Amino acid sequence: MSQLTRRDLLKSSAALGAAAALSPALGGTAAAQTTQKKELITAQGGDISKLDPHYSTSSNDIRVSFNIYDNLTARHPDGKLNPALATEWKLTAPTTWTFKLRSGVKFHNGDPFSSADAKFSIERTYDPNAKTMVATALATIDRIEAPDAGTLIIHTKKPDPLLPARLAFYGGQIVPKKYVESVGNDGFNAKPVGTGPVKLGSWTKDDKLVLEANDAYWGGKPDFDRWTMRPIPETAPRIASLLKGEVDIITQLPADQGERVAGNATTRVVGALYAGLYVLAVNSKRPPLDNPLIKQALSLAIDREAIVKELWRGRGIVPSQPIAKGDNHWDASLPALPYKPGAARDLLKKAGYKNEEIIIETTVAYLSNDKQMSEAIQGMWKDAGINAKVEVIEYSVRAQKNREKSFKGVFWSDPTSTLGDPDGMMWRLLGPGGPQDYWRHPKWDELGNAARFSVDEKFRAQAYKEMTTIFFEHFPWLPVIQPYEDYGLQKYVEFGPNPNQQFEVRKFNLKFKRA
Amino acid sequence: MRGVLGFLAPKLLRALVAVWLVTTVVFVVMRLSGDPVPLLLPPDAPTSEMERVRRELGLDRPLPVQYLTFVGNALRGDFGRSIHFREPAWSVVVRYLPATLELGLTSFGLALVVAVPIGMLSAIKRNSPIDQAAMGVALVGQSAPTFFLGIFFILTLSLWAGWFPTSGRGSWQHLMLPAITLGAFSMASIARLTRSAVLDVLRQDFVRTARAKGLPELTVVMKHTFKNAALPVVTITGLHFGTLLGGAVVTETVFAWPGIGRLAIQSIYNRDYPIVQCTVFLSAILFIVLNFAIDLLYGVLDPRVRPR
Repeated sequence: MSQLTRRDLLKSSAALGAAAALSPALGGTAAAQTTQKKELITAQGGDISKLDPHYSTSSNDIRVSFNIYDNLTARHPDGKLNPALATEWKLTAPTTWTFKLRSGVKFHNGDPFSSADAKFSIERTYDPNAKTMVATALATIDRIEAPDAGTLIIHTKKPDPLLPARLAFYGGQIVPKKYVESVGNDGFNAKPVGTGPVKLGSWTKDDKLVLEANDAYWGGKPDFDRWTMRPIPETAPRIASLLKGEVDIITQLPADQGERVAGNATTRVVGALYAGLYVLAVNSKRPPLDNPLIKQALSLAIDREAIVKELWRGRGIVPSQPIAKGDNHWDASLPALPYKPGAARDLLKKAGYKNEEIIIETTVAYLSNDKQMSEAIQGMWKDAGINAKVEVIEYSVRAQKNREKSFKGVFWSDPTSTLGDPDGMMWRLLGPGGPQDYWRHPKWDELGNAARFSVDEKFRAQAYKEMTTIFFEHFPWLPVIQPYEDYGLQKYVEFGPNPNQQFEVRKFNLKFKRA
Repeated sequence: MRGVLGFLAPKLLRALVAVWLVTTVVFVVMRLSGDPVPLLLPPDAPTSEMERVRRELGLDRPLPVQYLTFVGNALRGDFGRSIHFREPAWSVVVRYLPATLELGLTSFGLALVVAVPIGMLSAIKRNSPIDQAAMGVALVGQSAPTFFLGIFFILTLSLWAGWFPTSGRGSWQHLMLPAITLGAFSMASIARLTRSAVLDVLRQDFVRTARAKGLPELTVVMKHTFKNAALPVVTITGLHFGTLLGGAVVTETVFAWPGIGRLAIQSIYNRDYPIVQCTVFLSAILFIVLNFAIDLLYGVLDPRVRPR
């Protein structure tokens, strides 16, 4: 008879843990807090569609393309603008930005990177013959000069304080001139070449995309030899694949599933406060929404605390202004948007509201919790005496209505702050001719326009302050929540997520804990 | 020879009309219900930009013109270029087809291998515990929604028991859960149908005669009963095979299986007209070929429907 002591048990479980660490293929063992893995496996909600960065702006594509390519500038997880292919830049005249480029960088095919590639890439985005999908991303540019291999001079049509920020986002990825010209656009999309930390290995659509580490990456080789990205469209199987240890990181983890991942012995949750807001955008042209008092009442009647707590399990904050927390000119002195159903009732009476129907158009899960939030808000509004109705529309119908500006009342939008600045968020969307141009206010427009073309940050700060005040009177958006973008991770992965849609797997923000 | 032609010609004509109708309906419905362009461009793209892309894709032309172009090209085997992938639609769809065939054939094979013997056994051991258990399980299999079943299998057999990977394509283990999920409905209904067909035949006089003349029960069942019970089973089985190929949409999505069902659903969301048209066309053809095959099989199984 052998007697198992507690000590033996501990020893054997330690041995099991070591075995699990040594053979990561087995995974899933409770003790697997470190790994010897050399392959990173991630799962996201959909496959990428194109590898040519100038032909797509979809978040699924961007997660990969920002790692195959580099931009001149880079927005890191801390939200700050950092050097990338450009090492420094400065405003040399009101409409002239001069960039010093990194030397010694090579594309994946061995071609050296120079200012000619940068000039070609940026001009390609708005070249009518290239027919890209990012033609407006860098439309403030007038012309580009490349006086020598390491210098790029960009002349803008008007002063553009945000050009370096623009270059960090979509449209700004640098592609190799010589290679693109020799293989053509389709050839390039099939076999892309960049300067980024990973290069294309193989791609089986909707199954897996395999990327190989770029050993010669100027920013240091990433902490893996290979990165496999798997599209797993449904949330439950995506989470199951993480819990079982088949993948290392999953994206788009819904707030109500966080406890499951955090409560599991081998996995955890990390999140970044979304660089943007979830808002109900208002078609202010449609009565009674053309009446500012009614919109003020709508805002006062939303119990945002309850939405954050109940629907988001606390994974978000109540907004205080139309500028996302973390952006330039975010005003820390403003209080969170209040919930005052009584005051809302008074306003409605004052506005002469005659129980007109207010339609909330929502998709299902295009934004996390969109339908649930719509129903909750419908209830809150009803309590305040507002006759609201929820109408469910499909994603592509929403896109079409967005284009035609034909929403019937209020609708969900998740304005992303593409530039870390109100110009790239409220002004981009709500400004004249923007996609959510349903409301005009001469003073607001004047301020927004002046701020766009001013290189004086003090002046800009004042302009956005005044715009915020006007915003609170008219509510072209009803800001609802600034949520966290959550990721599920194996505990042996250390990962710093980006606040915008980028998903960087570079040396500085991704590391495996190795035994 | 004339007989065979007379047998096939009307069917062929009907099939062609069906393919034409299906593709036309899909063409019209897709175009009336949404627009791919806003999904391609960033949300802040101006109207001029939208119009440019619409022109490039030929979506600015009147619908009848687009339709005639589509039919003309389709007749030459050209389904256009995918809006989403920027590749010829046909070559995209063909790349997704093997995964769907692999899944469909496996689940069909599983369904047959499991369902037919169980159905027969249930019929022979009618009202026994075996029969009741089998038919109970079949009822569940037939009524549980595929989506629920898929998630249930992932949680139990994959996450808790650890027998199978949760999703994806690769080894035979990857194949098992989606194949069972997809085949569950067919498996259940084929088992139930086999049972009732066999029961019907067992009541017939010739079975009593066969038993009376002292044939062993095995011969009675295998030779006399099964052959006669096969006809309805073949019909329903053939139809199910089509459903398996076409109905893989949910299963492929739940298990992240890279097949044409999932491609179709994503392409519908993206309003990628050429891909949707191409997958629908392909599915229609598959269904029609299957129906043909079943018709021909009838002739083999039942001399009465053979053309004279």
